[in-house]
Amino acid sequence: MPKERKETMKNSFGSEDIKKLIPQRFPFLMIDRVMEASPEKVVAIKNVTASEQFFKGHFPGQPIMPGVLIIEAMAQTGIILYKQIFPNDKVLFLVSVKSRFSKPVIPGDQMVITVEPIKMMSKMGIFKAVVMIEEHKVAEAEIAFGSQDAKSA
Amino acid sequence: MARSVQEEVLEIVATVIEKNKGEIPLDAHLIQDVGADSMMALEILAALEKKYRIAVPEEKLKEMTTVNKIVQMVMAAKKKNK
Repeated sequence: MPKERKETMKNSFGSEDIKKLIPQRFPFLMIDRVMEASPEKVVAIKNVTASEQFFKGHFPGQPIMPGVLIIEAMAQTGIILYKQIFPNDKVLFLVSVKSRFSKPVIPGDQMVITVEPIKMMSKMGIFKAVVMIEEHKVAEAEIAFGSQDAKSA
Repeated sequence: MARSVQEEVLEIVATVIEKNKGEIPLDAHLIQDVGADSMMALEILAALEKKYRIAVPEEKLKEMTTVNKIVQMVMAAKKKNK
């Protein structure tokens, strides 16, 4: 574990340490910083900037962050949650997503993504994710994931 | 009492597996005969834990093969809770 994590109260860490836990990379790394990480809860932030690639086409003249990428941000935060419990397990695959979006995310927003386990097991799990921008909830989801062998078992 | 738990469990199983209740015999093997997979089993487990406020350990997942076996497991866990 990186040293700097011990120095902060709630176990917060930046993108270099995030990359040690999740395999996604630019332009698909959807979280900038982890503010808090424990087996019960992970809070991450994503600063949404006007220079994001996807805004070029989604949509020209009216930039809105695609909902699937908000789910990706939740899923990546979920991997960090999973790694708090099972640090050595390999990458898992998305199994199901139940989601609801209540407000568009636009350039300049800071998404605060909070995930909490519903049920975590070795090789599979379900967690709940909520995305807030300031005091508004913009999206929430229940996400299930598993390894390929869990699925076929 | 036992009957209502059975109905509730069947309802949860049917919702997760996306089948009609009538298509799920109570003693049919959910994975081999009904077409569920172990991820669905996990979703069923999470739904049961929420509904009955019970905690089911990971090892129990393997025993949750039929609706009737799930009902027995839920009843046992509920008893323990009291």
